[in-house]
Amino acid sequence: MLKIDNLTKTFEEKVAVNDLTLHIAPGEVYGFIGHNGAGKSTTLKSVAGIQQFDKGEITINGISMKDKPIECKRIMAYIPDNPDLYDFMTGIKYLNFIADIFKVDAATRKERIRKYADLFGLTDDLGQPIGTYSHGMKQKLALISAWLHDPKLIIMDEPFVGLDPVASHQLKGMMKEFCANGGSIFFSTHVLEVAEKLCDKVAIIKQGKLIRSGTMEEVRGDDSLEEVFLELEEEK
Amino acid sequence: MIRILVAKQWQEIFKSYHYNAKKNKARSKWGVIGWYAFFIVLMVGVLGGMFTFYSYLLCEPLCSSKLAWLYFIIMGIGALFLGVFGSVFNTFSSLYLSKDNDLLLSLPIPVDAIMISRLIMVYLMSLMYSAVVFVPAMLVYWFHGYFSIQTLFGCLAMLLVISILDLVLSCALGYVVARISLKIKNKGIVAALGAVLFIGLYYAFSYKIGELMETLLNNAILFGKAIKGSAYFLYLFGSMGEGNVVALLIYLAIAFGLLALTWFILKRSFVSITTSTAVQKKTVYKEKTVKQNGIMKALLLRELNHFTSSATYMLNCGLSILIIPLVSVSLLIFGNQFLTPLESLFGKGHVSVLICVIGCMMVSMADMAAPSVSLEGKNLWIVKSLPVTSWQVLKSKLLLQVVFAIVPMIFFVISGTILLIQTASINPYELFFVVVLPLIYTLLHSLLCLFWGVNLPNLNWTNEIYPIKQGLAVTLSLFGGWIIAIAFGGLYIWQGYKLGSSLYMMIGTILFSILSIILLIWLKTKGTKKFEEL
Repeated sequence: MLKIDNLTKTFEEKVAVNDLTLHIAPGEVYGFIGHNGAGKSTTLKSVAGIQQFDKGEITINGISMKDKPIECKRIMAYIPDNPDLYDFMTGIKYLNFIADIFKVDAATRKERIRKYADLFGLTDDLGQPIGTYSHGMKQKLALISAWLHDPKLIIMDEPFVGLDPVASHQLKGMMKEFCANGGSIFFSTHVLEVAEKLCDKVAIIKQGKLIRSGTMEEVRGDDSLEEVFLELEEEK
Repeated sequence: MIRILVAKQWQEIFKSYHYNAKKNKARSKWGVIGWYAFFIVLMVGVLGGMFTFYSYLLCEPLCSSKLAWLYFIIMGIGALFLGVFGSVFNTFSSLYLSKDNDLLLSLPIPVDAIMISRLIMVYLMSLMYSAVVFVPAMLVYWFHGYFSIQTLFGCLAMLLVISILDLVLSCALGYVVARISLKIKNKGIVAALGAVLFIGLYYAFSYKIGELMETLLNNAILFGKAIKGSAYFLYLFGSMGEGNVVALLIYLAIAFGLLALTWFILKRSFVSITTSTAVQKKTVYKEKTVKQNGIMKALLLRELNHFTSSATYMLNCGLSILIIPLVSVSLLIFGNQFLTPLESLFGKGHVSVLICVIGCMMVSMADMAAPSVSLEGKNLWIVKSLPVTSWQVLKSKLLLQVVFAIVPMIFFVISGTILLIQTASINPYELFFVVVLPLIYTLLHSLLCLFWGVNLPNLNWTNEIYPIKQGLAVTLSLFGGWIIAIAFGGLYIWQGYKLGSSLYMMIGTILFSILSIILLIWLKTKGTKKFEEL
């Protein structure tokens, strides 16, 4: 579903992502962990087509992000670490805007908005301007907008930050269901317990370089993910 | 304690004088002095100077007719109005909605001290505005030979009464303004319309003030008798300035009584209002089937939503949308009066070019595409992650301006055409360019606005007022548009008239069209690349 080959991105002198290669198959939940500034968000933004990269190739479902970005974006959804949405729109206007862009027909969008807004307990607030939303409510709205057009790949940067325990639980369920139906999820997180329980595969990035990746069992062995992560962080 | 809190409030109000939000750093000592000096010049020099002029006009004729009290009524009411309207829109937020409410209430500070410090700031603001009117009135009165200990105390006490009444009225009206603003839905549009209405009333008042003063001075004795006979309380208000002890005692008692009542009411409600969460009525969402829009329509609606939700955006970038139709109607009604002096100045056969220049200058004030790229700000990730091309995004920004500018311009060219047909001998060829040239210019100006917007983006603003009001893209679009329009008119007056207005306008139309095509190609190619690199 997602192939990242030799991705390199530099900001002036600093190499943010260095020759990173990662493949994600359909149906996989892939966790991406690393300390602050390791290059996680840069990688995710490059995959989402928000940020141009210097070297390497990203293909989504066999389509090159460099050559056909619009086709790639049509089958994926991206949620940033800080969901800055349009404060001047109401929640429902934002969802309809996203649905229009992804050409979701009237009946389908109505049904999906009802389903996910009810699930997150956001239905009553959809008529309110986004500017009045809390961080958690914005996060929920961004999640609904991601699921609204039934993508094949979802990219999420720290999706659990700001969510209440109920919403976190709902999101985990949605992620599992999405991948069970053949979709793929690539997400970053600092919550290692979540990664451990939720992910089929995990990748650890340090100073822009991928230092370990594979199935959860391959990466952690007999230790916990936290122990492996801390051990790798201490290595020079 | 109160002194510390007042100093904090002062810093908050004059924050922009101490801190440059654009550069995100404190201003230099001389920068701060410069800003305060500018403020003083504005308040004392401009506003104070204006009211000194009005005081001069009124003082001598009224005081020599023994109607000094009428003079003080006029200037006193003026001071009262300016004092209230100068601070009423900030009163509720500065009293109750400060961001540090929770912090201050959690500290060992008496609630009374918080209230007093905030009331002092509201009072100082009201006093500043009312003093701008009343101090010149006092000084002019004394300067005309009416200075005495009695009038000194009278005038100062009257200023005190006015400032206390201002404080009471600001608190009461501020509360009403806040209640209304919480109830209205489209705040942006209502605020913009309110501002337009206020500007209109201001100009109408400025236009009529001379006439009003003349009427007042010609009938001063008649007005004086009427007020003394039927509005004795108002007479007492004015006679405070002359040092009327009875009037002073009555008004001081009323002012302090109202102040005590205000304090009593505020004290009862302060904590409950400051600690309550938003009281805005919630719009409950009702599910309905929404028609599916195409991508371009969705993007255009997004731009429209942004534009109509912000009073700042509408007033600064779209005011000409209202001005152009008003000017168009005025052209139809008063066109003859306007054309005759122009024709005598420039000669017959040249006014068609001038009408085009006026239209181009007015439409240059519509520049919503200029800040639109910067306004994406932290939300830029949304359009970048969506399956839309950069050109589609830029095109939606361009279309919004073209649609909003071209509709009023159609009104303008129709009015201009009707006027020229009625008053000037004009051939159909010339008439064609009077219609086409301003419309082509409207397109060119919209493209220019977007060109500057793409080339000079500022995505790291903390308040949208910075890209809208202070952005270089907006400044270049506005003044650049005026320069093009003036240059077009100036060149005609200088040499172009030799070609004749029809040929000159045809050349202008061709030139504007070529420039538009070049800009359009640039935006579709290099412009989209620049947008993608943001």
